[in-house]
Amino acid sequence: MKANDNLNPILSQKKPWSDNANPIWLASTVTLLRNIEKYKFPAKLSSDRKKQIIALVSKDLLEMEGIEHPFLVKGEELGFLEKEFLIEHFLSTHNYNQAHVGEGFILDKTGEFLVTLNMRDHIHLQLIDCKGELENTWSRLVNIETGLGKRLNYSFTPKFGFLTSDPTQCGTGLIVAVYLQVPGLVHSGQIDEMLEKHLDDTLDISGIQGNPTEIIGDVIVVHNNYTLGITEENIISTLRNFTTKMMVEENSARSKIKRDDNAEFKDKVSRAFGILTHSYKIEAVEALNALSLLKLGAEADWIKGIDNKQLNELFFNCRRAHLLRHYSQEKINQEEIPHKRAEYIHTALKHLKLMI
Amino acid sequence: MVDKSEDNNHEAEKKLPDRPLECSECKKPISVCYTEIIGTAITRTSMCADCPELQRRLHGAPMQQPGQPKEEGKTGLACGNCGTTLESLRVGIPVGCSSCYEVFDDVLLAEMLASEKIPPRISSTKKSIPIHIGRTPGESQEMNPSLRLLALNEALNETLKREDYEQAAWLRDQIKALTENPEKTNEGK
Repeated sequence: MKANDNLNPILSQKKPWSDNANPIWLASTVTLLRNIEKYKFPAKLSSDRKKQIIALVSKDLLEMEGIEHPFLVKGEELGFLEKEFLIEHFLSTHNYNQAHVGEGFILDKTGEFLVTLNMRDHIHLQLIDCKGELENTWSRLVNIETGLGKRLNYSFTPKFGFLTSDPTQCGTGLIVAVYLQVPGLVHSGQIDEMLEKHLDDTLDISGIQGNPTEIIGDVIVVHNNYTLGITEENIISTLRNFTTKMMVEENSARSKIKRDDNAEFKDKVSRAFGILTHSYKIEAVEALNALSLLKLGAEADWIKGIDNKQLNELFFNCRRAHLLRHYSQEKINQEEIPHKRAEYIHTALKHLKLMI
Repeated sequence: MVDKSEDNNHEAEKKLPDRPLECSECKKPISVCYTEIIGTAITRTSMCADCPELQRRLHGAPMQQPGQPKEEGKTGLACGNCGTTLESLRVGIPVGCSSCYEVFDDVLLAEMLASEKIPPRISSTKKSIPIHIGRTPGESQEMNPSLRLLALNEALNETLKREDYEQAAWLRDQIKALTENPEKTNEGK
């Protein structure tokens, strides 16, 4: 693991989420899947051809205007830590760990842009947004996509739209996911009812690691269920509608918890406070769950000394690769990570005070 | 994840493996646990609902009986360009190239409908009509800037209907911010 490298372009990326003060909207990702005409999809493509794809796409993208200092990293140049860092940074549900010769990544200086090459499809163009600006983010991505499309031809048929290796993603090839942190709805037991009320079959819900049944840190990931037979504008507006309503419900739930001054909730928040400030070892999932309760506590003025910006940043920083990056000067064994995480959280929360 | 244990029942219980998350044949989620007991041998296989392996075990092995003409034409279907077969599609392996979409046209549509990955109204449209709507290569599109306002208005109406004035105020603030300063965005509170 080559970790002690401050100039490493991946590990030293800008962190778009470190400035997000939104109490609910953690992040959103917009992804366009594209393949290049006349080349077989990556799973059936020889490694020579894969290298051609990387050369073709990177040549065009690296020269394109509107992307800030883009750079190409090949799969074989990345260590385990860097791949995991990318997964955490871009909230990816794909596994980049297998990326090797023939796969590649293009990133830029903003830390918001990621292109993966030859992972399932030839090109995945992705932007991460932490300001709640779905529409603008989509427009930015479409600009890049059409710019690239002027220089090479995408696989496309009028019937199935843009072709993808997974047939259930063809058509627009657009995947939009919004990450909402809703501790108020989860802990008041209203979440299922609210999802049923507002969710229709064009949207789907999963947890941050892609598993629909495991909600970690009270974060629900809402993403479009259809990519074919629906316009991009339609996908975005359905998501915008749904998230606006969920944010209203979450705000109501949080105000009610604050008003009711309920002992159960106070207990939950105090326990979360205790776990975060006093544990000697802590696993990521436990930390993320407790951090979410702190959000609830901060909103109800039960705890002081932390704001949503810091809590959102901690949410990313206490995951494994980000943590290891923070301690990159030290050599840390696998077993020591939970202890280091506890230590990191203690420092980050040192001004935290329980008011109840 | 076929797990064979030749021990007696008690020890087999102890060795019960963790329940795998994915079908042993493909990548779909598990919905059937198939346990076969022959004498003292216990075989456990975890499969998804539409697994061909499951069909084989429940209804005998059609693939191993060459005398059966059933579905013969279909199972032989393969893409001439990349060699992807119908069998591999059925177990959830991605298609291999653009030509697959022509070769497996109807099969792909049927699969998408079955897994509810396309809007249901499409099943009623005619075959020759394009299913894709929206942009084509090279076309760019501007997002209607009022989308966000529309969403806020809709939510506002809903909150007013149930007389939740606190949230209505929160939504009004956001609408105000958007209409007064269309360039600036003001999320959250």
